Amino acid sequence: MPKITFIESDGREHEIEAQTGASVMEMARAHNVPGLDADCGGGCSCGTCHVYVRPEWRTHIGEPNEFEVATLEFAVDVEANSRLSCQIKITDQLDGLVVTLPASQR
Amino acid sequence: MTSVDKAIHWDPYNPAYFNNPHPVFTRLREEAPVYYNEEYDFYTISRYEDVQAGLADYRTFSSSRGDILEFIKANNPVPPGVFIMMDPPVHTAYRSPLTRFFTPKRVASLEPQIRDFCAKSLDPLIESGEFNFIENLGKEMPMRVIGMLLGVPEEDLKTVQSDADAKLTTEAGKPMDLTEHTFVGAGFEDYIDWRMKNPSDDGMTEMLNLEFKDETGAVRKLTRDEVVIICSMLGAAGNETTNRLIGWTGKVLAEHPDQRRQIYENRALIPQAIEEILRYEPPGPSVARYVAKDVELHGVKIPEGSSVCMLVAAANRDGRKFANPNKFDIQRERLPHLTFGQGFHACLGNALARIEGRIALDEVLNRFPDWEVDLDNAYLTSTSTVRGWETLPAYTSKAKRRPGGKKAAQAAPQANTPAPIPGAESWKLTMKTPMGPQEMTAHLVRKGDALTGRLDSPQGSESISHGKISGNTLTWTVSVTKPAPMQLGFEVQINDNALAGHAKLGAFGKADIVGERISS
Ligand code: HEM
Ligand code: FES
Repeated sequence: MPKITFIESDGREHEIEAQTGASVMEMARAHNVPGLDADCGGGCSCGTCHVYVRPEWRTHIGEPNEFEVATLEFAVDVEANSRLSCQIKITDQLDGLVVTLPASQR
Repeated sequence: MTSVDKAIHWDPYNPAYFNNPHPVFTRLREEAPVYYNEEYDFYTISRYEDVQAGLADYRTFSSSRGDILEFIKANNPVPPGVFIMMDPPVHTAYRSPLTRFFTPKRVASLEPQIRDFCAKSLDPLIESGEFNFIENLGKEMPMRVIGMLLGVPEEDLKTVQSDADAKLTTEAGKPMDLTEHTFVGAGFEDYIDWRMKNPSDDGMTEMLNLEFKDETGAVRKLTRDEVVIICSMLGAAGNETTNRLIGWTGKVLAEHPDQRRQIYENRALIPQAIEEILRYEPPGPSVARYVAKDVELHGVKIPEGSSVCMLVAAANRDGRKFANPNKFDIQRERLPHLTFGQGFHACLGNALARIEGRIALDEVLNRFPDWEVDLDNAYLTSTSTVRGWETLPAYTSKAKRRPGGKKAAQAAPQANTPAPIPGAESWKLTMKTPMGPQEMTAHLVRKGDALTGRLDSPQGSESISHGKISGNTLTWTVSVTKPAPMQLGFEVQINDNALAGHAKLGAFGKADIVGERISS
């Protein structure tokens, strides 16, 4: 099982065992990682599952699709490495992934 | 399936399905995942996977003629700015700069004002234990909240209105009633003109000044007309829908008192409760598309040029996606419902609608933890765009009147057709709309060259404004909210006991009218 680490904006870390095929957002919720509202439940329409992904993971994750790019406009403090965690599907290649959470989703 | 099963039939206009469309939606989904209705010439798609994929595939299922069946059929030119009726990239050129008004962060800042509105509206009713989800909350809140977001202050509106009235000596602009109507009409346009000359730090000024790259690649501001029509679109998209969400919250939770109790005790459950209400009874059960190229689905060919209703309400109860789909369960696994659509057109106001629904529920629970709804005195409507409660009285255990005690005068509003106006001449009008003829009655009162009165239609009664008489020609306007907020501009010629002319349907083209005199 791939391991994923979530780092809250105050530095608190949560390492979880993730299930392949699920999304990063779903895994965060399943393990009660705070700070992901994910209002739309993974529909790529609300922008409240925003995370920052370290650049070195970009090639494994792939680029955001056109819908994700559009919905990122709803998110707060968007940076070049911003992603919607509901759109990142977990694969074995993502073992060791580190994502940082923004201070707030709203 | 047995052979006695009747052929499936569904259309959005048939009252047989208003009360409970879910059985027919289940049949469509299971027996006819692509259904064709011959009478009105449209298709339906009802499985979760198909609706989700269909809404995302704008190249096949286009919004270029709108997302309302009637508009697609009418195929009138789309005014600049109405991006709900456009495909990318033009759609996105307009939508993208406006997103900033609707971010979860921006709408969260309205929370104190929304709570304040709820308090003002509900506090006076605590003592009696009687309130109405629609009259006291749903009808007023959404429009006021959009006003808050754009910073349209009600005091300013009044000032602007009286300025405008003073200027327009021959005809007063129809007063803009923020509570029931929406951002349409002369009053609102005057407000925008006034705001252009008197900039402030409000949302409207921000909208007037924002720069965006239009479809030609030019960086420019929105024109005044674009701002007017965008605001009227926001009212159209955000008003009745959110009103319906508040109504369904009252209805569904009254039927599930145990789950309501859980929410009462743990308010952290409110967001998931609202999501489940949105899934279970979507305020807008269907979203329509124009088929831009031939497509085949489940062995059925849907030809280019067709209209398709994407049955969101059916998809939300697809057992292939949701376990136990007909069960209302606020604890269910959180999966995306399709109530706010999907893809590029997914509801721009979703964060706003969510915060309104959540606050309304919280504030109702604070005051009325155990309401029952009085269905005998409630009234449900369903159109091709929204389905929900027009009025929904509720009572707590301490209320004197108990549900079921009919208040005769207030029963089913559609029954109390307003009485004719004394001294009015009455005309039966038939308007030829894209969905077939629509009948209405005009009650007209002449005074000099001015015309006043009222127009009664199955959608309700609206008073006439800007009425004028010149010879045999009568002109007037009426503001309506269904199927979308717009101003209808009538122009008819009278010839003894017959009349003929047309109505301009807001920005959406014209419809011919014929009529005959009923009384003089
Ligand atoms: C519970 C309440 C609401 C529901 C159920 C709802 C539903 C929807 C749906 C299904 C769509 C997609 C239409 C399509 O794909 O053609 C949509 C789009 C839209 N909604 Fe909402 N809506 C709600 C509240 C609001 C509010 C409060 C606003 C803002 C004031 C709003 C503004 C819009 C706009 C502007 C669009 C067009 C987006 C686009 O075409 O890109 N809605 N809404
Ligand atoms: S959960 Fe809503 S966009 Fe990811």
